Amino acid sequence: MKFLIVDDSITMRRIVANTLKNLGYTEFVEASDGKDALDKLAADDGIDFVITDWNMPVLSGLELIKAIRSSDSFANLPVLMVTTRGVKEDIMEALSAKVNNYIVKPFTPPVLKEKIEQILAAIA
Amino acid sequence: MGQPSNMGQLFDKLNDLKAVFVYGQKIIPVVQSLIDFMKETVPLLENINNSISESTNKIPKATDHINNVTNATELATTEILDIIDHVSEDLIAIEKRLVDISDQKVEQVEKLAKLKELVKGNSEAETLVSEIIAHVSVDEQLKAVTEKLAMIREESNNITLSLQVQDITSQQLAAVNHLIASVQNKLASLITDLTDNDLSDFDKEEPENSTFNAGALYSKDSSSQDIADALINENNLKTSQEEIDKLFK
Repeated sequence: MKFLIVDDSITMRRIVANTLKNLGYTEFVEASDGKDALDKLAADDGIDFVITDWNMPVLSGLELIKAIRSSDSFANLPVLMVTTRGVKEDIMEALSAKVNNYIVKPFTPPVLKEKIEQILAAIA
Repeated sequence: MGQPSNMGQLFDKLNDLKAVFVYGQKIIPVVQSLIDFMKETVPLLENINNSISESTNKIPKATDHINNVTNATELATTEILDIIDHVSEDLIAIEKRLVDISDQKVEQVEKLAKLKELVKGNSEAETLVSEIIAHVSVDEQLKAVTEKLAMIREESNNITLSLQVQDITSQQLAAVNHLIASVQNKLASLITDLTDNDLSDFDKEEPENSTFNAGALYSKDSSSQDIADALINENNLKTSQEEIDKLFK
């Protein structure tokens, strides 16, 4: 399974990648903002799962989800949002944009594992 | 008949004029005190203006300083992550080496067991081989070392996860920077016109499409995640129900 990790923080991209590695996943692609992520998705049709932050320059995580959902090529791609935004209104907004699941930073490996598995089970 | 009326009008005008003089006499001290107040206020306003100019000049330095702090912590965090990666690689190499050692020992024990069979009847040789087997079989020690390595790996993973604090604090610092920039803009406009500005309307809000969340918190409290989980579950149930309803239409 190939993950696209989208975050403007290098630190967070590395932490998410390291955690995925420890969970047994080995393939990752990284993007520093929503636009970069769309470019990576367009260039690589092997991406199976997107993990994205919300607050990013150029194109936010929320806009990225909307772009993914309105795309012909990857509208059904599972998207997990990992963000510091923990208020109800934000979560509702992400749900309206059709995010598959939502993690509030700081995350722990069991939570990341659980959410990935929940998404994969739901789309199976 | 017209004369008294004209005189009356004249007296009225004189009375008005007198009233103006009387009012003027009354207002002169007020005007004087106003002038005195203005005289006293001008240096004060100049001081305020200078102070605002000085503060405005210092603000870019403050924002630069905050940006430097963010960059420095990101660099330090990257260095820590690099070190943790090296430690993890070393741990993997050690664990692999331990597995090799363990395999070799199993092989040695098997060979020694065969040897023991061969020397059956020679009690001295049998005892000697048994002693060697006992010496070679150090499974417990290997197990203890492997467990210790697993603990070290767990701890380094925890360090990695704790470094999320860097991303969260950098968002908090970006929010502070945004607020400072907003204050700077307000102060700059105050210098231009001290009277027409309202100090209360600083842009405390996060701008649209900002790269930070002003409410970012490093907390191990799971209440926000619990809310997210509850909303996701609620949404999933709703979606499932909608799908079921569709099937029955």
